[in-house]
Amino acid sequence: MFPIIHWNLISLELLITVTLVGLIVLDILLPPETGKDWTGLISFTALLIMIGFWSTQRNLSGETMGGMFIMDSLAWFFKGFFLLAMVFVFPMTRQFLKSLPKWRNEFYFLLWLALLGMCLVASSGDFLMLFISIEILTISLYVMTAYLKSDHHSLEAGMKYLILGALASGFLLYGISFLYGVTHSTGFAVIQGYAATHAMNPTILFGLVLIFAAIGFKIASVPFHLWVPDVYQGAPTPVTALLSVGSKAAGFVILIRLFFGVFASWHPQWSSVFAPLAALTMCYGNLGALFQTNIKRLFGYSSIGHAGYLLMGAAAGSILGASAINFYLLGYLFTNLAAFLVIVLFFVTNKSDEINDYAGLATRSPLLAGVLLLALVSLAGVPPLVGFFGKFTLLMATVQSGLLWLALIAAVNVIISLYYYLIVVKRLYVDPPRVNSPIPISSSMRFILWMAVAGIVGIGIIQGPFLEAAMTAAKGMCFLP
Amino acid sequence: MTVPHILSWILLSPLAALSIIFWMPSNNVPLIRRIANIGVGLPFLLSLWVFFNYDYTSGGFQFEEQIPWVVPLGISYHLGIDGINGVMILLLGFGSFAGVLVSQNIQERVKRYYILLLLIVIGTYGAFLSVDIFFFYFFHEVAAIPTFLLIALWGSDRREYAAMKLTLYLTAGATLALVGLLSLYHAVGLESFDLIQIQKYLVGHPLPVEVQHWIFPLIVVGFGVTLTLWPFYTWAPVGYACAPTAVSMLHAGVLKKLGAYAILRFAVQLMPDAAETWMPIVATLAVFNILYCGLIALIQRDLKYILGYSSCSHMGYILLGLACLNVIGLNGVVFLMFAHGIMACLGFALTGFLAEQTQTRHLDELGGLLKRLPFIGTCFAMMALASAGVPGFGNFVAEIMVLLGAWDHYRWQTVAAVLGIVFTAVYMLKAIRLGFQGPIQPRWTQLTDVQTFSEKLPYIVLLTALIAAGCFPSLILKRIESGTKPNFKNTLNEVSFAKQEPNKADRPMSMASIR
Repeated sequence: MFPIIHWNLISLELLITVTLVGLIVLDILLPPETGKDWTGLISFTALLIMIGFWSTQRNLSGETMGGMFIMDSLAWFFKGFFLLAMVFVFPMTRQFLKSLPKWRNEFYFLLWLALLGMCLVASSGDFLMLFISIEILTISLYVMTAYLKSDHHSLEAGMKYLILGALASGFLLYGISFLYGVTHSTGFAVIQGYAATHAMNPTILFGLVLIFAAIGFKIASVPFHLWVPDVYQGAPTPVTALLSVGSKAAGFVILIRLFFGVFASWHPQWSSVFAPLAALTMCYGNLGALFQTNIKRLFGYSSIGHAGYLLMGAAAGSILGASAINFYLLGYLFTNLAAFLVIVLFFVTNKSDEINDYAGLATRSPLLAGVLLLALVSLAGVPPLVGFFGKFTLLMATVQSGLLWLALIAAVNVIISLYYYLIVVKRLYVDPPRVNSPIPISSSMRFILWMAVAGIVGIGIIQGPFLEAAMTAAKGMCFLP
Repeated sequence: MTVPHILSWILLSPLAALSIIFWMPSNNVPLIRRIANIGVGLPFLLSLWVFFNYDYTSGGFQFEEQIPWVVPLGISYHLGIDGINGVMILLLGFGSFAGVLVSQNIQERVKRYYILLLLIVIGTYGAFLSVDIFFFYFFHEVAAIPTFLLIALWGSDRREYAAMKLTLYLTAGATLALVGLLSLYHAVGLESFDLIQIQKYLVGHPLPVEVQHWIFPLIVVGFGVTLTLWPFYTWAPVGYACAPTAVSMLHAGVLKKLGAYAILRFAVQLMPDAAETWMPIVATLAVFNILYCGLIALIQRDLKYILGYSSCSHMGYILLGLACLNVIGLNGVVFLMFAHGIMACLGFALTGFLAEQTQTRHLDELGGLLKRLPFIGTCFAMMALASAGVPGFGNFVAEIMVLLGAWDHYRWQTVAAVLGIVFTAVYMLKAIRLGFQGPIQPRWTQLTDVQTFSEKLPYIVLLTALIAAGCFPSLILKRIESGTKPNFKNTLNEVSFAKQEPNKADRPMSMASIR
């Protein structure tokens, strides 16, 4: 018997799929040289429509396809998150593709595919579904990472990401098989029932460690972080942006669902693992970033550092911790994507990602320098910007759970990160420019930049509604004990 | 007469000025300056009004405004004035007003300069006005990055080094304090950052002593960095020396006092048991502050470094006063924060003027300047005398109160602190002798003194405040006491020191009534 499918639950994913197929058909039908980036324009319009559609799904919840696909407040929050990330990634891609001779439209297809994968990850209710959606996301990222076929950095990055990513997928499958062996199911609901009634045993532990390895790869946590700096540096910048925000958030939505929900009854065990991992991850990332000369590589290490801060919320293991992760990611989205927008716009005119070439950006383009300044300072966690309140809530959750030592390590890391962010700020504002030519920015890009600034400053000052949204997402999650 | 939301107006008027300047073309310099002056002058007048209209007979927080901000965490936008921060915003009013006035000589990137300076002013007003602990911290940290940019862009000699060092030190201290404040929040368990609520709650449910014991040092050391607690003071002299004049004034005069204010509000008032255990250590560190930094100041030849180390040395008196844990000592602390703040603003303003005119701050290259600069020289001499604790200036009143408060519990520390006053007299008089007296060097014969009233205004304003505080201390003391005294009854339950010698607790009243 075929299970009943609740189409309204999966309508967003269907819409994405239809758009993707439609774009491919359109690409075949349209003449190759139209002179206008139709795919990009249609993509962006479709995205805005989808955001409107998404906002109507607020109270949607339930499961379908025999529990394979679930829709709850957490999934809703993160789907909105991924759509919002795309609002920044698409314009970034448009800028970036200008330097590409051909194969432009295919890049958009891959972005849509990645979006589909991320949305499915947020809605997975079964380990097999989870595996498939992660693969949809990761495979499109492999291709995009190696997209610049003439650039050996990009190829190296793609190769590195592919090999380590494949390894992580293997770990995930292997881990799932252990869980299946013990619980005789891949469904989250059944496994949660098992976890609630049984103590942790070595077989389960082994499976969980392997599953965490796959998640750790996605969120760039130590010791699964080795790919990050090279891939961030080599990949096309929009892909780096997507990796740092979308892919990381996809990792965290699984982490929240599994470790705050499904495995919540084993909280003491995994909390004692997450706390040292968080400390190691933030120390590694922030110390590694100290002496970088390439801005994308710097952001690679800083991204590891932020994964460490976020893991503090996981170590706290409370609802406040999960809400803090959600809020922090939301702030991180605006902040990091603002920075990558600047990096793309700078690259288009200067063909360089070296931090030294950013010298005197404040005189060449006050807007770009200002946005990058806000982004860096927000990442460092300085009020009134959103990064501050994110760190504040994470620290609050950590202290609440009695992990004072972890909070103190985080405090030290904030200072280390402030140092290397301020070094870049110094380049932007204090050092004299090497060339004096201004950097042209189109008015549409100005609008996107201002939108990012509005997010960084606005959420930083009016935190209440956004924190409440993050809390609602965490509290209304399926499988919450 | 009541003005609705007067505290919000204090906070919003510099913000309004900032937003106007932000959207203005950067070449309209005179208008930018005028708007910045208004944006800082208006809150100055408002804070004067608030200061004089504060009803010190009834005490407590007045002019309160409250808007719930982040409900799930118990954060609210809550402003209020009591006897302590009423004096502090007055200090900030004086300091920021004078600071913006002496910024007239900034010629490059004027728009950016005023935006950053206004950000510092907003942050500091916000921190002093906030009754909510979250917003105190929030506003306190707003000043960090503008300070970095102001020093790195408009500073002098080792400006990049100084900017980085200052920002990192201050943020490190603040983050440490944040961990302490969050621990306090969870330890209280009220799910609220509202200081008034926490205070009321703690009266009936004091924190367990062992919890107080480890939260207290986090807060004191964390905010102690801001207050240049020995040995975390090294950022200050170099930071002040390399910063542009207005930033040195604001930091040495006002922002530093935020540290003392936070220790007083969050550590001493909320955790009285831990205070009794830890404060003797703080008193000893205070002596290191006074003597160690005083000795370094003795051998400096650079005017700004003398003032910088002198400022670190004088923070020792504030720490010593905090350590007394009695009303007279705390009154002295708040008074000293005011008097020293005004004095430091004046000192850095004068030094900034000199450095601008002569392109040097080195005492060996100056000399005989009083002949060419009678106004500046006179102001400098008065500042130096105030710093050395000569009666007639606010510092004398404050320091004598601190010393009186400290004598009962910290004998040898008090003796050492008195020695520090001698050091101050020595290096300040040396600065006057080498810089302003003696034969004038030929290359300084072309110097011109401040001419117009508007140029003299910042110095006049600050000197007036300093002398008024010295001659009519009760004006300020009555208000301070209305802020410090009730807290002793509520949260400190009469402090053990006061308990042993109950007659001592009455002394501050008499101090205030004598004057």
